[in-house]
Amino acid sequence: MYMDQLNQAVKGGIAPFHEYLLQGSIVDSSKDVLVHRLRGLCDNADSNPEAFHDHEMIFSLKGSPQQQPMTVYLRHSLIQTDCWHLRYVGSTEFGDKTRQTLVRSCVDIGVSDSIVKFLNEIGFKLEYEFVAKGYFFHKGRMKVTVSKLFKMNIQGDVNNIDPLTLSCLVELSVVVPTGQEQVGEDMKNFAEQLKPLVQLEKVDHRRQQQAAT
Amino acid sequence: MALAGVTVSIEAVHENQIQEVTLDGQEICVPPLSMSECLAKSAQKIDFAEEDGEEKGKTTSEEETEAQEKESSAFQPSLWPWDSVRNKLKAAYTETGVLLDVLNIAKEKKYMVLAHVQQDTNEPKSALQILAKKKAFGLQSISSGLSTAASVLMGGADRLKKSQQEIGNRQQTEFHFELHNLRQNWRLKKVGNSIIGDLSYRSAGSRFWQGGTFEVTKNTMLPSEQVEGTNTHSALEVVIPSELEGSSYVQVEVKHVSESTGLMHATLKLPNSFGKYPADAHWQTKLEVAQNVLFCKELFSQLAREATQLKSSVPHVVVGNQIFTNIFPSVQLSIILCHATGKGDEKSQPRPPKVEHNHVLEHSLHQLLREVHHKTLHLDPPHPVTATFGMTKRRRLAGPSGMSRADLKEMSESETLLEQIIKQARHEVLRVRTMTTIDRLASTIPDPQIMAHWSCLNSSLQSNVKIIITSNGYDGLRLTWQSLDLEIGTDSIKVVTKDRRILMLSFLEKELEDLIRWQVSQHHISLSQNLARLMGWQILSYNGCSGVGEMEDFATASSIQLVAPNNDRMLSIRSGITSGLHVYLKIDSKDSLDPSLTALVDPKWLNLSGTFKEIDMEQIDGRNFAAKLEFIMAMVKQKR
Amino acid sequence: MGVVCVYAFPVPEGKSGQQVVDSLQKQVELLGAVKTGNFSVDCETYQANTQAGTLTTTPQRLIHVLHNSEQPASCFSVLDTGTTLIADVLFDVLIHKLTSGKAGKEAFYQQRKGSKMESKGPRYELSDFIIKIGSVSMASNFKGILVEVEYSPCSVPTECWNLMRELMQSFMGNVAETPPTLVKNKMDNFYLPGDTINQYLEHFTNFRKQTVMGQPIR
Repeated sequence: MYMDQLNQAVKGGIAPFHEYLLQGSIVDSSKDVLVHRLRGLCDNADSNPEAFHDHEMIFSLKGSPQQQPMTVYLRHSLIQTDCWHLRYVGSTEFGDKTRQTLVRSCVDIGVSDSIVKFLNEIGFKLEYEFVAKGYFFHKGRMKVTVSKLFKMNIQGDVNNIDPLTLSCLVELSVVVPTGQEQVGEDMKNFAEQLKPLVQLEKVDHRRQQQAAT
Repeated sequence: MALAGVTVSIEAVHENQIQEVTLDGQEICVPPLSMSECLAKSAQKIDFAEEDGEEKGKTTSEEETEAQEKESSAFQPSLWPWDSVRNKLKAAYTETGVLLDVLNIAKEKKYMVLAHVQQDTNEPKSALQILAKKKAFGLQSISSGLSTAASVLMGGADRLKKSQQEIGNRQQTEFHFELHNLRQNWRLKKVGNSIIGDLSYRSAGSRFWQGGTFEVTKNTMLPSEQVEGTNTHSALEVVIPSELEGSSYVQVEVKHVSESTGLMHATLKLPNSFGKYPADAHWQTKLEVAQNVLFCKELFSQLAREATQLKSSVPHVVVGNQIFTNIFPSVQLSIILCHATGKGDEKSQPRPPKVEHNHVLEHSLHQLLREVHHKTLHLDPPHPVTATFGMTKRRRLAGPSGMSRADLKEMSESETLLEQIIKQARHEVLRVRTMTTIDRLASTIPDPQIMAHWSCLNSSLQSNVKIIITSNGYDGLRLTWQSLDLEIGTDSIKVVTKDRRILMLSFLEKELEDLIRWQVSQHHISLSQNLARLMGWQILSYNGCSGVGEMEDFATASSIQLVAPNNDRMLSIRSGITSGLHVYLKIDSKDSLDPSLTALVDPKWLNLSGTFKEIDMEQIDGRNFAAKLEFIMAMVKQKR
Repeated sequence: MGVVCVYAFPVPEGKSGQQVVDSLQKQVELLGAVKTGNFSVDCETYQANTQAGTLTTTPQRLIHVLHNSEQPASCFSVLDTGTTLIADVLFDVLIHKLTSGKAGKEAFYQQRKGSKMESKGPRYELSDFIIKIGSVSMASNFKGILVEVEYSPCSVPTECWNLMRELMQSFMGNVAETPPTLVKNKMDNFYLPGDTINQYLEHFTNFRKQTVMGQPIR
């Protein structure tokens, strides 16, 4: 039944999944406290937290000036180098007050490593890239990541990196098939337990982009 | 002093106050104060805080009396100017002396006691009392200061003493100490006024619908009220939900049933008389037992669910708290959930029949369920982290690496708990059967020795054994061995012979027995072959499966023909499984040939004649066939 | 992943495609193969939309998106430069996003109408071989026959080419004299799923060219 739903969605071109997202940040000096607390709150408290090291590239395709450029996020792991992951996210509905978290439709696609060449040839251009290093936790189907972002000094060189800021990005996200509502509540309850270390809230990306430009 | 010659008349001031003037002009005066009253009034004015206040007071009173005397004596001629002063002083001194004496006597409290005098509020108090009071007041303030200090110190000492006692074993703090211990082992939460704990496996990955919450309360019973001979008193009590009371275990039994009973007969067994835990056992025991009950419940419900949903060739029967299934045609596996609430009568509990627990399989079941729990929690972390969460890495890479349909199907297949335990039970049955068969054959067949070397590395689904057949005394030479490798799986046994032939045996015991017997018979012939080589005899023919002679019940017989080094003796050995081992000897007789032809004919042609005669192996000396054969070969070899 | 060879089986004059397919099927069944279901390989083509004139790629870029029922979890896309991408099936959603225009706005890419090609037919298994006989159709017009033979245990074409040729010649005749060009180019390297798709694409392109060439004649 799930496969049918998926197939229908795929044929119709509708993104079959929704992502619920809460973001926050924490200063580097307090990062260890947060990691310690997350270890206790999340599953697998007895094993060491999973470390990850990813390289993300953002491509966008610009059409005519009136068109919204199409952006895709390509991320691959530097620990397990055969995993490349392409992501397309829909626009977020921010104004909805009843929603505790940021909700957006998303498409997650695993791809082979010829993707960069492919995207370049289709017409996508690399806008920017960065490296993310940090820890990964999970509780049930909720993903929590504490990541430190680095900027790359030379394009394409993953070893020549500098930290972007003095703090770490904390993200709590769940990806579920369309139609499940209880997720937001659970996420909010979990976020409550991380206060006052880090305030996880929904962030309006558009407002930040406007402020930046 | 009035001047001489001048008469000054001093008139006393109308000292008495006029209280009332009557209507007819008469003045009623306030009666003048008596001496004591006067003294008291004066004394009241004295401030005893000053050191020389007394003196002053006295002088004041003295002065007053003097003044009074003076005025009263204004009408009398004075004899001596200081006379009145002397009189006054003397009187005052006398009075003071009297007061001192009185006080001294009153201090002793033997003849006189100072008693409180009831007075009006306006009445001036007696001087004594006032004095005493003032003195006492001073003393009191000092003493009250001292007493407050003392009480503070006493309070502190009391508290210290109490806390020292509490560290031992007293009611209130023991509760918290025990609570602290409880919290180190179990998850606790404070809900409102009560403390609730969780004893289920939810946090370890279980998805069972039934939760286990227990409540923690204080134990109100004093140690003295406890029944004699019970365990040590604890300040903590745990209240376990009623459905988890008692104790339980899952019993797995593998037994042989006759073909006819099938699965239609299933008796409901409700054992009651085990594991009855006393009601006031230590809380840790209680909680562990309750947790075990919950675990067994989950295990059994999962197995029962799978048994009813699984479509397999052999039907599974679920009756009440029992699951039956036939793993082999006449072997039945039964899984029973035994839950004793421990509430039954003490008297009416008959002894339950002896049940065969298969502890290995029970332990296996527990491990399997724990593995299911573990898999629920330990999901593969996605690399990169934005990838889909919840799939294994292989599944995530299935798309990009172009996995075929067959691979995907293989990945998505998973075995249920019931299937896994059935497989393990099957393997166990096979292994035990193989063991007993080999042991039985080894003990019944004396001649070649059968040895079994079991591999120490084995799993719950596969074991290996190497069977070696040798003859006693002739096992130094590897060539004389016969060996078999058995790989025991879940349904069948794979046999690899010495010449690397592979045979598959089913679960029937007879097949293995037949195989070993056949190998034993083969061993005799191959041993003869090797012996012949060692002794210098020639092998004329070796036949692994001879098609002549009487037919065996199973497999085939083998035979060998040997010739002595100087060609005059011939041995023929035939070994069959059911027909047994026969040794025939041919000694050619020179007599049948014409003596005149001996010069022309090559001696070798003489070997053609002669008949085979069977040798009675029983009569030959020798421990086993090999020794006997060697003996024969040595004896028979003769120079012509 | 085994080694796959795809050949276009010629339809002789006078016979219909269906008859040829039937005869092939019969021959394969005579060899002892067992039918295990059906298969389908389909291909859709998308073209860069340069009407708005702002897409900077020149010349026009073509994206071919193919699916193979043998690899149900994957979606293949090939560009006309030869770059091949293997991705999850959700990649279709992304393509849809590329090609769907929002109200009033043009899409980045546009689907070429009437150029969806499919090869469908029965799938046989003969011990280690998998044989597929597909009839190719473009917008429900029959175009030709494609036969695919896969030998699963081996991944290097040099090792198993002779064995495969023997089998193929037994029911296909001289069509399978030489290995397909793609396979010939990488005889000593590992064979990848993307190569199968490229073989199919080559044949589809040929079929399309035939149509275009065939039209003036009629």
